[in-house]
Parts: sequence; structure tokens; C-alpha cells
Amino acid sequence: MDSAPERRKADFMPVEVRTQRQLELLQASLNRACKTVDYYARKFTAACVSPGDVAGLSDLSRLPFTVRRDLAEHYPYGLFAVPLRDIVRIHTAPGMGANPTVTGYTKNDLLSWREITARALSAAGLTANDIVQIFLDPGLANWGRDYKDGAEFLEASVIPLTALAMEKQISVLRDYRVTALITCASLAERMLSALRASGAGPDLALKTLILVGEPVPPEDRARLSGENGLSTWIHYGLSEVPGPAIAFECPAHQGMHLAEDHFYAEVVDPETGEPVKAGDPGELCLTTLTTRAFPLVRFRTGDRVREVPGACSCGRTFKRIEWLSGRTDHSVILRGVKVSREQVFFHMERALGFLPKGLRLAKGRQADDDGLVVLVGVDDDLFSDEIKELESVMRKAAAVLRQELGIPVKVRLTEAMEENRDDPWIAET
Amino acid sequence: MLRMRNVKCFYGKIMALAGVSLSVDEGELVALIGANGSGKSTLMQAVCGLSQGFSGEIEFQGASLRKSRPQDVVARGIALVPEGRLLFPPLSVMDNLRLGAYLRYRKRDYMGIGMDIERVFALFPVLKERANQPSGTLSGGEQQMLAIGRALMARPRLLLLDEPSIGLAPLLVRKIFETLKELQAQGLTLLLVEQNAQAALSIADRGYVLENGKVVLAGEAGRLLLDQEVKRAYLGKDYSEFTEGRA
Repeated sequence: MDSAPERRKADFMPVEVRTQRQLELLQASLNRACKTVDYYARKFTAACVSPGDVAGLSDLSRLPFTVRRDLAEHYPYGLFAVPLRDIVRIHTAPGMGANPTVTGYTKNDLLSWREITARALSAAGLTANDIVQIFLDPGLANWGRDYKDGAEFLEASVIPLTALAMEKQISVLRDYRVTALITCASLAERMLSALRASGAGPDLALKTLILVGEPVPPEDRARLSGENGLSTWIHYGLSEVPGPAIAFECPAHQGMHLAEDHFYAEVVDPETGEPVKAGDPGELCLTTLTTRAFPLVRFRTGDRVREVPGACSCGRTFKRIEWLSGRTDHSVILRGVKVSREQVFFHMERALGFLPKGLRLAKGRQADDDGLVVLVGVDDDLFSDEIKELESVMRKAAAVLRQELGIPVKVRLTEAMEENRDDPWIAET
Repeated sequence: MLRMRNVKCFYGKIMALAGVSLSVDEGELVALIGANGSGKSTLMQAVCGLSQGFSGEIEFQGASLRKSRPQDVVARGIALVPEGRLLFPPLSVMDNLRLGAYLRYRKRDYMGIGMDIERVFALFPVLKERANQPSGTLSGGEQQMLAIGRALMARPRLLLLDEPSIGLAPLLVRKIFETLKELQAQGLTLLLVEQNAQAALSIADRGYVLENGKVVLAGEAGRLLLDQEVKRAYLGKDYSEFTEGRA
């Protein structure tokens, strides 16, 4: 169990007290969402339900889901629940198509996020004695800000997310005596491999690795921990809305505790939308309880999770989840950033003026910086005598995608491939 | 200690409470704020058995308060300081205090009652000075002190206060609210219903904002105090347009 000063009331609250508080917060949040966000008012009316019908937490399943497309369709401020005057921060994240996802935060929302991230970092043992480096792709820049706030709240020395190249980031990690690194597993792998190759491994002050943005297979985690002598901690969050560390590991490392004081979580069957049996895998669906500016009701995350049964030995009473690999939609997580086919198709079409047939997408290997590889089959539409011209077009497309997704992107020409627009993802050979 | 789930109350066809859930844990001071007509007093009446009926659940220390009569509720450890004080004006301060201990007289707890009267006098020394004076001749602030003192005479575990600041000068409000904090420090649990959001949230641990019979905000009192919507709704102007206030 954590030391007494680190024990926070909400984490250790008796389950029956939390259940009551969650119901109170849920009803208040639904009442507010219905009153101030037209989208929710219309959607509830169309489904013939009202916030008053939610008499218990299980009644939430009577309300309709919110999906990513809803966020895209209400660009920029359509889902904001407070006047713009109350918004003190506006986040932009890659969206599903033409428009990015825009999220707003009130002053209170930012305080909540600071507490959420600080609590998660504290559970990983971070203190005011730590030097914390945050290294994420631009596609996760929002998280960089939240983690900075959380680590600063703990009075750690923070090296915030900056647009430095990998080599510079490695120098910072080594020379600044960084003790805790917040990054995604693929970036950590690259950084630490490079450090080991340079012979700097044993001199590092690094002790703690907070892995964010993607599920980490046990073998990858064991390698990152074992080869580098680090303690590793996995955090779960949403890259678009509302932020990181929604679930975090405690010293028991038996699943991630969900921040149930701020979120109500459901695990549903991705096909039917019905709740799965406790402990069965399903799609994580989140409803915000305290968010003022941008409430979400039954937001389908697309992430596959499983509820971990039983009580945790750390004493926290927050429900635990295990984050499983793969997603329930046709998107893929690359360097912590979710990439959907819709996004790639939209931006490719915008860059090229048309959408090539037989477009395939792959997760890049280490030589491709673990980013996105877009494979474009050369067909009659695309064919050009001038190979340089073709290459230039592809470079332009890659630049557009890099800009929009915030991760490394390569576009390669290949021979024509069979079209599968429903699921264009392949394992690159 | 007090748990309410989906409490609905009707006045004829008008729904005064539209599914309210709230809780007060032991030792907490919780504020319930809202404008006139938001349902605050109705909620208090439902807890105290003064309402003709409600749906939903109200539990006190794990047992339902459904169909409890006011005297049962007092016997269970809940006392109300009603809106407008509702003292017995011709009766003396001392008699008003004694009436607060009505149920205890039936149990012949004379010694305990005497000690509690001294405790109320220690809390509000001015009441001792006016002990034999008809309560109707007291100032507004003194009457409020007496109303609180009278409720304390029932030896409640949970004290409900309905708009104790109403009609009082700011200095007196501060004095009353300081006393409430003192009572909390002595171990009493309090649910404070107020229109004066600033004053109530300043002393509360948590708060709820009631609007048209629904809770629209809940959380730590400090956070609610920072909330722009609370500030606008109860402390100043509201914005009619989404972009108002931004160039």
C-alpha cells in the first residue's frame, strides 16, 4: 500500500460511497449536457429518453452512444457546454476527416486534469525529487501539456514536450540526469536502444518509464524494463478528448485503475453495444462526470479492454482494466496516436486530388520510425512517365499526412493492389 | 450518513424535485445552493417528513426515512432550522430552547437538557443575556441564533439549515457561518441550504447546485466557487450568447 501522504480520499473511497457520488455526478452532468448542448438534447429526445430516466448507474445504458464522427460533425464548438468566455484552453487533435477535433477546458477542467495526471504520476512513485522528461509526437501534444501540469504539481523538475529531434531528446535524457521519462513504448524502445548502442546505458539516472498512448505487450514491457533496469508504468488515455491518465497503474501492477471520480466506464460488446459479462473483453465506453466544458456521454473509445475482477492489493478501490491490443474500429495506434482509415483517405484525396485505388496502410517498422506507411498501387490514374513527378506527388501527400497526424509518415509506390477500403490495413512485408 | 436517490416531489402537477440524488457523509458540511423556486426547501421538507410524499429513496444512517413523521425524523437524529426561523414569538428564549428538546423531556433527560442549554449559551452568549425575553423581540440575527440553538437542543447528528442567512447583515451572516464551522469541528454533520452561494460554499466541504428541481452541478465547494457559471448565476450576470464576452 502507498504511504499515507500519497493516499487520496477518492482513490480509497468505499465502493458504496463512490457509487452514490458517481450517480450524483452523472445525473448532474446529464442534466447540464441536455440543457446546454443541443446535440445531446436532440439525441436524447430522438431516443425517447431524458436524463431523469437515469435513476441508477446501470440506466445509463438507455442513453445513446457518442462516437468520434459526432465530434467531427460538430466542429469547432458544437459540443461545448459552457460559453466561450469560460473556456481557458482550446485543444486541437487530429480528427476523422477534414476537421480536427476541438476540445475546450474551463479553469476547473484544467485543475481536474492536473490532479488526474499528478495522481497517476504519484502512483508511479514520482515525487518532487524527480526530473521528468516528456517525449511524445506532435499528435499527442495535448497530453504533453497535461503531463507537464501534473508533474509540476508534484513539484518535479519538468522538461516539457519540445520539438527536438530524437538525437537531442537522447542528449537531454542523458545529460540532464532525467529520472522519469513519459513517452510511448515505441519511442522508448528507440531512445533506449540508441543509448545502449552508444554505451551510455549504465550512466543514466533514468529509473521510471511511464508508457502512454498504446497498449504494451508483456514481452515488450519486460524487455524495456529488464534491459534497462527500469520500473515501467502504463497509463491509458484518450488522444483526442479529454486527456491522458484516465487509467493508471499502481505499485501492484495488476491492471490500471480507472479515475472513477471523473469518469464512469462501461465495457460493451462492440457489435451489439450491450454490456459484456464482468471480466470479458469489450470496448471501453466512457462518460465524463466532472467535465464542464466538453461533457461526453457514453463515448465509444474504440479501445479493447477487460475489467480486472476483485480488489487490488494497493487498497485503491477504483475499478481496474487491462488494456488489450487491437481496436474495435478500423484504426491503428501508431506511436501513441490513433490513425483511422478515414483520416488517411481524406488527406490523401486532398493531397492528390483523387483517391488512388488499392490504397493500403501499414504500421512502419523501425526503419520507418514506427510511423505510418501508405502504400499506393501505381495504376493508370497515377501513372506518369516522369518518376520524379510521381515522387514529388507522394512527398507532398506524406507531408500533408505528417502535418495532420503529427507522426512520421512515408508514402511508397508499389504495384497495384487489391482494393479493400473497409479495412485497408496490412502487415508490411 | 444521508443518502438521497432520485427523489421526486410534486406539488399537484408541478414537479418540484425531478430526480435529485445527493449525499452527506458523517462530519461533512454540505451546501445546497439554488435560486428561489429551485426546490431547495422542498428537498428539506422531504427529508424531515414534512412533505406529503415523495418517490425515490431517502436514507439516514442506512435506514429509509420513507413514511417517517417529523417527530420520528427528529428522534432519529435530524433537526431542521427552518426558513424564516419559525420561532414561538411570545415565548421566552429559554422556552423556545426547551421546546427544541421536546422529545427529550418525554424521556426525562432533564440533566442533559440543562447541560445543552448551557452549551447553546456558550455558543451564542447573547441568548443567555436575553434568556427571559420573548423571542419575538430579538433582532433578526439573534432570532437566527435561537433557531439554531433550538434545533441543537434535539441533540441531532445531522443539522439541516434552510436559508439561515436570509435577511441578515453580512457581519451577522459571517458570525452565524463561523458558528456552523465550529459545530462541524465539534463533530456535527450539516446540510446547509442557501441562496447566498458565496457564503455557503466558502465554509462547505462539498456543494450541489439545484436548478428547476434538478442538480446541475456537484463537487468540492472550492471548485464550485471557482466555477464561472456559479459565479454568473448567483453572483452576477449571465451570458446569453455562446460567444459573448469574447471579441
